[in-house]
Amino acid sequence: MKTTWKDIAPVPSHQEFLDIVLSRTQRQLPTQIRAGFKISRIRGFYTRKVKYTQETFGEKFQHILDGFPRLQDIHPFHKDLMNTLYDADHFRIALGQVSTAKHLIETVSRDYVRLIKYAQSLFQCKQLKRAALGRMATITRRLKDPLVYLEQVRQHLGRLPSIDPNTRTLLICGYPNVGKSSFLRNITRADVDVQPYAFTTKSLFVGHFDYKYLRFQAIDTPGILDHPLEEMNTIEMQSITAVAHLRSAILYFMDLSEQCGYSVGDQIKLFHSIKPLFANKIVFIVVNKIDVRRPEDLEPEYQEQLQEILKAEDVELLQASCTTTEGVTAVKNAACDKLLAERVSQKLKSGSSSANPSGRLGDVLSRIHVAQPMGGVRETFIPDAVKDLKKYDKNDPNRRRLERDIEEENGGAGVYSFDMQRDYTLADPEWNHDKMPEVWKGKNIYDFVDPDIESKLAALEEEEEKLEADGYYESDESVEDAEDADNRQKADLIREKRVLMRNEAKMRKSLKNRAAIPRSAKAKKLSEMTRGLDSAGYDNSAASSRARSQTQSRGRAPTREATADADAMDVDDNPHKALARAKSRLRTTPATDRRHDGVTTFSSRDKAERLAKLGQKKMNRMARAGEADRHTTVSLAKHLYSGKRGMGKTDRR
Amino acid sequence: MAVRAQFENSNEVGVFSCLTNAYAIVAVGASENFYSVFESELQDVIPICHATIAGTRIVGRLIVGNRKGLLVPTTTTDQELQHLRNTLPDEVKIQRIEERLSALGNVICCNDHVAIVHPDLERETEEIIADVLGVEVFRQTVADNVLTGSYMALSNQGGIVHPKTSIRDQDELSSLLQVPLVAGSVNRGSPVVGAGMVVNDWLAITGLDTTATELSVVESVFRLGEMAPGGAAAGVNKDSIVESFY
Repeated sequence: MKTTWKDIAPVPSHQEFLDIVLSRTQRQLPTQIRAGFKISRIRGFYTRKVKYTQETFGEKFQHILDGFPRLQDIHPFHKDLMNTLYDADHFRIALGQVSTAKHLIETVSRDYVRLIKYAQSLFQCKQLKRAALGRMATITRRLKDPLVYLEQVRQHLGRLPSIDPNTRTLLICGYPNVGKSSFLRNITRADVDVQPYAFTTKSLFVGHFDYKYLRFQAIDTPGILDHPLEEMNTIEMQSITAVAHLRSAILYFMDLSEQCGYSVGDQIKLFHSIKPLFANKIVFIVVNKIDVRRPEDLEPEYQEQLQEILKAEDVELLQASCTTTEGVTAVKNAACDKLLAERVSQKLKSGSSSANPSGRLGDVLSRIHVAQPMGGVRETFIPDAVKDLKKYDKNDPNRRRLERDIEEENGGAGVYSFDMQRDYTLADPEWNHDKMPEVWKGKNIYDFVDPDIESKLAALEEEEEKLEADGYYESDESVEDAEDADNRQKADLIREKRVLMRNEAKMRKSLKNRAAIPRSAKAKKLSEMTRGLDSAGYDNSAASSRARSQTQSRGRAPTREATADADAMDVDDNPHKALARAKSRLRTTPATDRRHDGVTTFSSRDKAERLAKLGQKKMNRMARAGEADRHTTVSLAKHLYSGKRGMGKTDRR
Repeated sequence: MAVRAQFENSNEVGVFSCLTNAYAIVAVGASENFYSVFESELQDVIPICHATIAGTRIVGRLIVGNRKGLLVPTTTTDQELQHLRNTLPDEVKIQRIEERLSALGNVICCNDHVAIVHPDLERETEEIIADVLGVEVFRQTVADNVLTGSYMALSNQGGIVHPKTSIRDQDELSSLLQVPLVAGSVNRGSPVVGAGMVVNDWLAITGLDTTATELSVVESVFRLGEMAPGGAAAGVNKDSIVESFY
């Protein structure tokens, strides 16, 4: 919530206001107009002038209206304070007048724009504009007083202390001249004027101080006199506002020495008359100036009245002397403690409907809770060496030698490799660096680690010795006879042969990284076959002649056989054969190469080819498919392929 | 005594080390800086062991131990087990556990008297824990998290639990453990207190990011140094804290 209004823009006086708006119209809009221009252009020119002026007025007025706080939106304390200081009605009326002026100017502008539409000449237009601006100026001039008032309010508002109505607050009140301001000076660093006459403090003053890590604000109020609320002046009303609206601890100051000029009886009476404002607040009566007179020295009748107050209401009596600063801190602490306890208990009450608060309050509470066990404490195991351990100091030359130091000496991180086995606690330190294989003969050593291995070995050896002693190994039963040996040898041979065969087959079958080509695809030369047959001792003539006949090409021979009689007519002596021949014609290779037809020499053929190319040239150039190609492509309109400017900006269509 | 440290730019000290009253186990890093932090505080007091578990450096999350024993997961290799056996004192029993939840440091949180374990741990494991570590075993959750080892740091003198643990849960856990507990964080608000710090009865090592406030809570609840029991979080400024944070 906003507690200060230091950033309201200054409110200009009505004259300045006019200057600002009119000069802006003059500066921002075109000024050149001629009688010879089209009438629509002239009308537009003046319409714009009127409208722009109205907009500027509206903008400025709106700015003023937005800058000031709306009384219904701010905290009741600030609302009442403003009411006391500036008179809420006056304030509202001033802002209302500004708002009305804004609406009036809008109406004027609307009317004259309508009139300008019907103007017939430059002169008429100009006169209408003048009239419109004149009327706007008149409306503004009528705002003279409200603007002056608002500027004063703005200046005063900016200097008001920043009072947060919801924070932890100590409120100091009492008769004039009882030592309120000097108390504030004592507990905070606020530079409050302290003078030995009444009403030195004419407005609210705020000081801040810290107590228990929390920021408190202390508010010094002007003195209050004991008379009805209606008769109170502005200065006293500020105090009343603060007392009434701020959620605070109230320190009611009393001066028993009567140096302030008011009797103790008056002061007690004042307490009773403003008592209704203290409802739901923590109230303390602070007896000030105890260096002069203490409450014990008071006349019995006043003492009785004082005790009555303390008894009847929940009020505490505190004592202090601001001149000797005796008891000042005690007063502050007592007030702060009680205020804090009150606020916290309210928060805890509002934050939790049940016994276990949840949400943010629950989070906070669970974080500051220390769960203490019911029973005794657990036994701890702290070695004695810890107590004698010297604190490690990096700069001590006799410091403990750390692994890091060793690392630095041996080339630093990345180079040095620490000794993992250094700190082993084995029976013999020499064993520390013994090499121990992980796997031995394909077995994981650790699977065979047995703590009782020694005793087991001893037992085995003992048994062995016993057997030996008994002569168990003397009888030689296990020697095999000759037949068995022979069989074994043969079986071994057979097995070996089998393995060899299997390997060979594997080798044969393996592709050895070659592509798998089917046997039929592998070409064999005829000579290979004949050589193979020869070496095997077969007659190869029949086979080779058959192979030759197979390789001979089928179909018609490339050259025609010379017939017996060249002039004889073709006769189909066998119709089936003729039919077959006729069908196979298409598949035969041509007897002659057409390229060589019709030319006698190579040179003439080259020439013919050149001429043929020349004939193709035009067709190629025109991108024709052939001589008969008459296709006309769609032609682009000029704007589709040419830009107007060469800068590359507008040639993109 | 509470110290801040960092393992290769990581604040999760409890991931890369394990600290008990009888020994400390530290991951093998690229340099000896982290190891030397332990050395400077513990040299000649208790053995400090460089170790890997299943070839990884996250030893603090995989193993769990106290003064009497050490439990390692089934993934630990024979060589690593041998190395641990050779380095640690003979009074410390070492046991490899066949447990499906193999990150034992995450699922078990113990001091020398009590262990708080994941509710889904096998019964055999529970018995082994009770035998090897010599503790009472309770199946519990911390702030509705089953990973008790991650969200709780415990010594014989005190404990820190996940910052969102409710007051009722804190009281319940405290009555089980018989040590004072607070809900707190380490490493600038990290809720994984078990992984963010290691602690024994006289030393705590936290991540480098731990704030002064967090460190003072650690020192007071674990009663390290000259801190009075209770300390910063206890009662004195309760009003101020409620007033300013709520």
